[in-house]
Amino acid sequence: MQNQTQSQDYSFAPAYNESVDSQGVPHRLTEAMWDYFSGLSTEELSARAAEVDAAIMAAGVTFTVYTEAGNIDRAWPFDVIPRIIARQEWERVEKGLRQRLAALNLFITDIYNEQRIVEDGVFPKEVLEDSKNFRQACVGVRPRFDVWAHVCGTDLVRHSDGQFYVLEDNLRVPSGVSYMLENRQLMKRLFPELLARYRILPVDNYTAQLYDTLAALSPRNGDRPVIVVLTPGIFNSAYFEHSSLAQQMGAELVEGADLIVGSDDCVYMKTIAGLTRVDVIYRRVDDDFIDPEVFRADSMLGVRGLMRSWKKGKVGIANAPGAGVADDKVVYAFVPAMIKYYLDEEPILPNVPSYLCMYEQDRKYVLENLDKLVVKPANESGGYGMLIGTMSSEEQRAHFAALIKAHPRNYMAQPTLSLSTVPTLTDEGIAPRHVDLRPFVLQSNRSFVTAGGLTRVALRKGSLIVNSSQGGGSKDTWIVDGVV
Amino acid sequence: MLSRVAANLYWTTRYMERAEDTARLINAVTLMSLDMPGDVRFGWSSLIRVAGLDHVFFEHYAEANEVSVMRFLLHDEKNPSSILNCITQARENTRTFREVVPWEFWEGVNELYLYAKQSLGGDLTRRRRYDVLQAVIRRRQSMVGLLVGTMSRDAAFQFLRLGRNMERADMTSRILDVSCAVIPPRTDAPATPYSDLAWMSILKALSAYQMYRRYVSVHADGERVIEFLLKNRDFPRTVAHCLTQILSVLRQLPNPDPVMAVVEETLAFVERADSATLAKRGLHAYTDQIQLGLSSVHDALRRNYFKQGDGVNEAGAAA
Repeated sequence: MQNQTQSQDYSFAPAYNESVDSQGVPHRLTEAMWDYFSGLSTEELSARAAEVDAAIMAAGVTFTVYTEAGNIDRAWPFDVIPRIIARQEWERVEKGLRQRLAALNLFITDIYNEQRIVEDGVFPKEVLEDSKNFRQACVGVRPRFDVWAHVCGTDLVRHSDGQFYVLEDNLRVPSGVSYMLENRQLMKRLFPELLARYRILPVDNYTAQLYDTLAALSPRNGDRPVIVVLTPGIFNSAYFEHSSLAQQMGAELVEGADLIVGSDDCVYMKTIAGLTRVDVIYRRVDDDFIDPEVFRADSMLGVRGLMRSWKKGKVGIANAPGAGVADDKVVYAFVPAMIKYYLDEEPILPNVPSYLCMYEQDRKYVLENLDKLVVKPANESGGYGMLIGTMSSEEQRAHFAALIKAHPRNYMAQPTLSLSTVPTLTDEGIAPRHVDLRPFVLQSNRSFVTAGGLTRVALRKGSLIVNSSQGGGSKDTWIVDGVV
Repeated sequence: MLSRVAANLYWTTRYMERAEDTARLINAVTLMSLDMPGDVRFGWSSLIRVAGLDHVFFEHYAEANEVSVMRFLLHDEKNPSSILNCITQARENTRTFREVVPWEFWEGVNELYLYAKQSLGGDLTRRRRYDVLQAVIRRRQSMVGLLVGTMSRDAAFQFLRLGRNMERADMTSRILDVSCAVIPPRTDAPATPYSDLAWMSILKALSAYQMYRRYVSVHADGERVIEFLLKNRDFPRTVAHCLTQILSVLRQLPNPDPVMAVVEETLAFVERADSATLAKRGLHAYTDQIQLGLSSVHDALRRNYFKQGDGVNEAGAAA
C-alpha cells in the first residue's frame, strides 16, 4: 500500500524536484521508473538493496576515509534508484561543458605565456599574483594542442529554476569516474528489467576515450604508446579508481619509485627486463609532489627530473603541471568572462553568482550576510574548510570573518543553493534527497563528454553535503533517449 | 612488467598456496589423528614444526594442543603464516596489480578474504573446521581455474605460476622434514602397521595419497614415499615437478640464465637423492639442503627480477 501512494506523497519544496511535478505526478520519463519500483514490495526492494551492498563488498569498490582513528576502507555507498535526465536537455549541457573547458585551456596557455587577458583588463593581475596554484616552472611552456587540462570533472547543480549551474571546475586530479562506471555495472546486474524499459546512452566508452586522449600526447609515433597511470599508492583514497582505470586502458599502474628520468631526459619504468621508455603519464598525484627537483623536495611520490623531461617534450603529462591555476574558486568567477574573451561566445552554462572577498564591496556584503552564504576557500577540494552559513554557529561565523579579513583573496562566497532532489531509497522508504552531478570532460586534439556523470546524493534528510567523505552516496545517472 | 608488480604477483600466489596447503594439511592430519590408537597422544606440535614456527608459537602459548595449534594456524594475528594472514596479505597485494589480472580475480580474492575473515575466527568444532577449510580450498581452486581459463600466458601469469611452484616445493620439503620427527626411522625389523599408516598420512597431508597409490603402490613405505615426493615428474606437488615448472616459467621470462643455473643445480641435487638410505637416516639434513637450494633460487629471482632498477636508480641519480 505504502508503495502505491508513494509518488503522490512525493513532494519537497522549494528545491527543484527532478522526478515528479508539484502535484506529485511523475514526469513523462520517470513514469516507467516509478511504475517499476512501486511494483516491488518493501521486502523485495530491501532484498535488492542488500544484494547491491553484497555486490559492492565483493567487488571491493571502496574509498578511504581519513579519521583520527586511522584510515578506514568503506564500501561505496550506492543508491539503487537511478537519476533520469532527458537527452535533449543533456545535449545542451554537453555543449556548455565543451565550451567551458576550451576557454579554460586557452586561459591557462595565455596565463603561462603572453597574459593578454591580464593586459586587456579582463582578468585582474592581483588574482594571478596570489594564486597558490600558479607554477613559475610552467611559464613559457606550450604543451601539445595548447591543452593543459585534459581531464576535467565539472560539478553541476540544478537550482530551483530547474537550470544547471556550474559550481566548480576540477582541473587538478578529478576523481569519481570509476564510480560512475561501477554504478552502471551494478544496475545492469541487479535491475536488468528496469534498464530494458529505457533507451539509455552508454557510459562505458569512457576509458577508450581517455586512452585516445592520452595517446594523442605521445611524443613518439607508433600504434601503441606506453601509457602509465601514476598513483600516490595504495593509501590514497582514490586508489581503487587509479587501478581500475589502468586496468581498463591496459596501462601500467605505477608509483613514483617505479619511474626514473634518464640522462637523455626521457622517462623510464623499471621492469623485469630492464628499463622501458614511458610516453604518456596520466598522473593522479598533485603538482606539489610530482617532481622533488622542482616542487616539494620532500616528496616521495614523484619522479626526480619529470618536469625537465616534460618541458623538453620527451613525455606527455595529463593533466599538465600548472593546470591547477584555473582550478581556484576565485578564478572560477571569471570563467564566463573568459568564454566571451577567448571564444567570443555567450556562456551556455551559467555560474553560480559569486562574491569575491578581495573586492571591498563584495567583502562587506559577505561579512554582513555570513549566516546566509556558503563561504569557500579558493584552493580546497572535497568540501573541506567551508562555512555553510545557514547551519553555522556564531563562533564559526566569527572564525570565518577573521579568516576573510586576514586573507581576502583566499575566500569567495555564494548564496546557499537549493540543490535539486531525486527519489532515493531511505530508511523511511523512497524519499527525495539532494543531488549534484559531476560529468567528466576530456580534451586533447578533440573533446568528449561523458553521457551523464557521477551523481552524488546527500543521504541524510535535508542535507546538502554530497561528498562521500561526509555521508554522501551515489546513483547511476541515465541520459535517456526515450522509453521503450 | 614492472619489477614491483612482478614481486607482488609472486608473493600473492605464495601466500595463497600457503593458505591452501595449510588447510589441506590440517584436514588431512585431523583425519589421521582419528586413526591413531586411543592411548597415543597425537603430536599437534608437528604441525607447528612444518611451518617452522615453533619459537613464535611458544612465545604465545604454553602448550601445543588441538585448540591452541588450530587457533595459531587458522587465524592468529601473531602468526604471519596463519591462513587468515596469508589470505589478507594476498588480498592487499592483489589490490596493487588488479590491472594485470582478469577482473574477476580480484573479486575472487576479496570474496575469499571476506569468507575467511567471517568463518575462521573463534574456536571451530572439528566438523565445522573441516567444512570451512574445504570451502577455502575450493574457492582458491576456482581462482586458479579462473586464471588458467581466462588469462593470457604473459609475464604476469608466469610470475603467478612461479610463486605457486616455489611455495609447493617448499611445503613438500617441510612436510618430508617433519616426517622424520614423527616416524621412527626404519630399522631392519618389520614395519609396524602404524609406521605404514604414518607414511600414508604424509602423502595425505600433501593430497598425494590417491595418485601415489595409483602410480606407485598400495603400500606406503619410507623409501618409496620419499622417492615419489622428491622425484616424481608427474605429480604436481613433488619437488622435482615444481622445479621443472619453475624452469619452464623462466624460459618465458627475459634474461633467465642466472636463475636457471641455480634451479638446475637444485634439481640435480634432488635427482641424486638416494631414497633407500634417506629412509633409514639423514632425511632431516637432506631436506635442510633442499631448503637452502630453494632459498638460493628465491635470492636469484630477487636479484634478477624484483630488484631491477634499484641499481639503475643509484646510477641514474648519479648521472
